[in-house]
Amino acid sequence: MSKKSLVVLFMILCLGLFLVGCPKKSVVKEEPSTKQAAEAAAERERAARLEAEKIAKEKEAREKELARIREEEAKKAKEKEFERSLVGKREAGIAGEVFESKLLKDVHFDFDRYDIRPADTDILKENAALLMQYPKVKIQVEGHCDERGTNEYNLALGERRANSVRSYMISLGVSSDRISTISYGEERPLVSGHNEEAWAKNRRGHLVIVSK
Amino acid sequence: MVKKIFCLFWFLLVLVVLPAAEARVYLDINTPTFVQIPIVLSKWKGADTTPPGLPLKIYEILANDLTLSGFFKVIDFNRLPNPLKGKTGIPTTVSLAEWGPSGGEILLVGETAWKPGDPVVKIKFHLFDLVEQKHMVGKQYEGIPQALRKMVHRVADEVVLQLTGEQGVHNTKIAFANGRGEGKEICVCDFDGAEMKQITHNQSINLSPAWSPDGKKIVFTSYLRRNPDLYVMDPDGQSFRRLTSYSGLNAAPAWSPDGKKISLMMGMTGKSDIYTIDADGNNPKRLTTGHGNEASPTWSPDGRQIAFVSDRSGSPQIYIMGTDGSNVRRLTFEGGYNTTPSWSPKGDRIAYCGRVEGRYEIFTIGIDGTGLQRLTSNAGNNESPYWSPDGRYLAFSSTRSGGSKIFTMNANGLNQRPLTSAKGGESSPAWSRRLE
Repeated sequence: MSKKSLVVLFMILCLGLFLVGCPKKSVVKEEPSTKQAAEAAAERERAARLEAEKIAKEKEAREKELARIREEEAKKAKEKEFERSLVGKREAGIAGEVFESKLLKDVHFDFDRYDIRPADTDILKENAALLMQYPKVKIQVEGHCDERGTNEYNLALGERRANSVRSYMISLGVSSDRISTISYGEERPLVSGHNEEAWAKNRRGHLVIVSK
Repeated sequence: MVKKIFCLFWFLLVLVVLPAAEARVYLDINTPTFVQIPIVLSKWKGADTTPPGLPLKIYEILANDLTLSGFFKVIDFNRLPNPLKGKTGIPTTVSLAEWGPSGGEILLVGETAWKPGDPVVKIKFHLFDLVEQKHMVGKQYEGIPQALRKMVHRVADEVVLQLTGEQGVHNTKIAFANGRGEGKEICVCDFDGAEMKQITHNQSINLSPAWSPDGKKIVFTSYLRRNPDLYVMDPDGQSFRRLTSYSGLNAAPAWSPDGKKISLMMGMTGKSDIYTIDADGNNPKRLTTGHGNEASPTWSPDGRQIAFVSDRSGSPQIYIMGTDGSNVRRLTFEGGYNTTPSWSPKGDRIAYCGRVEGRYEIFTIGIDGTGLQRLTSNAGNNESPYWSPDGRYLAFSSTRSGGSKIFTMNANGLNQRPLTSAKGGESSPAWSRRLE
């Protein structure tokens, strides 16, 4: 076979391929079956939808997992924050060590009163929420008074203030065996001034942690 | 112990060397117009072997005692004209002609004998009425040197007895809480502020000391175990032990006159109530039942009633009840803050702290609610009055000179003076009975 005849044969084959391939296409194009086309489209759509759904579900699960991890980390961080916030307090002449935390906030009282001020209820709610989060923690509420009035009557007042705080936190769901009370009367002022500003700071219910 | 009994024996040995004149009351301290009696204290004499410092020391203690009593205007020998200034010891005769220029109505003369190494100090005194020109009393005391102050106090007590009809209270002690800044300790000193002793050393918060009626124990509140519990000890700080540890407050103890019970504030129910317990700390009985805050019980001298503070009416006021909690009645109606009652030893009056225009003042009131008297005014905050065992004086705390200090005054409010020269931080005085 000459080189020339090979070239011709190749060209014929190419043509043949062209002729075989083209007619099919032209058939679809030129003779469309509407029913078949709709079915195919629906099929594709369904597949696409399923695919999208699958992807969304996976994404959701991933995000959920991420959120869970984040939450856990936040909780751990908060736990660490709470643990980090604890400052040990030992006092001469008073047995044992207690811990103070800036996350457990004081409430304050009006002169010669022991009811929880409405503005202070949120503080106790936050304190209670924190305690609910740490069910092992036990606290002691200290009732304090300002320097005015007699030491003994102030002991009674401090007792009542401490118990007002305790009762309120129990009403918020904190178990009663987790909160003890102590009255210091006017014996442990926070600040030492002799004016209303100092007195207002000293009339307080102070929370300390007696058991972590 | 043997030594102790020996000391006591010597101290109790009182020799009456001259017959006492018939008792006559020179001074009715209950009259509002009473005037202090001018009493001349001539120079005391020591025996030849006695160090010269001793008669001077005795003189100083005695002059201070008589001044503190509030009944006398003491005329010091240094202020006497010659030759009276130079007269020492006990003269054989005393005449108005001779002593008239002294300006005194009563003359007290005395001598002492002791030399270093002697186990016993001797003190002898005589009292003369210069106006009526008669000998009133003469006595001699003997005791160990350490009991010198007690012996001199007995001389002063005897002088007070002769001139007022009732023995003085110079041999009494006052206990109180003391501390600036963190912590308070219990301290005890004599009526004249001498012999100050800190009897707790635990750095805790120690509050509200109260004497047993026999003067042999002091009960008080301490935060040693992170709860205000009751503790009891001897007045020298020995035999310290915990008496109660009920949950919540165990505070403001008051011993019953028969010594069998202690009334106190307890917080078992979540608020302060008045209770009684047995003297051993057992058998708590709740006497108050309402919703109020109850504080500061004090027994009537017959042991049948207790006065206390309650805010059941909306503000703290003084109430009286039976010792079983029955027959409660309100005593005070003046003012909006009346606390720390103290029942007088004669039973007729109650002293308390009341607020007037933002300040705290000492009042007394009859137990029927009449005869209200204000004893302090415009001198700092005055709190926690407590009667002397003869009912003639009150100890209280006052911030008039800066920090809170213990003061004493006559029961009519005269003669107010600080007990000690300490800097302040003192509170809650409690007066002992007369001590041997």
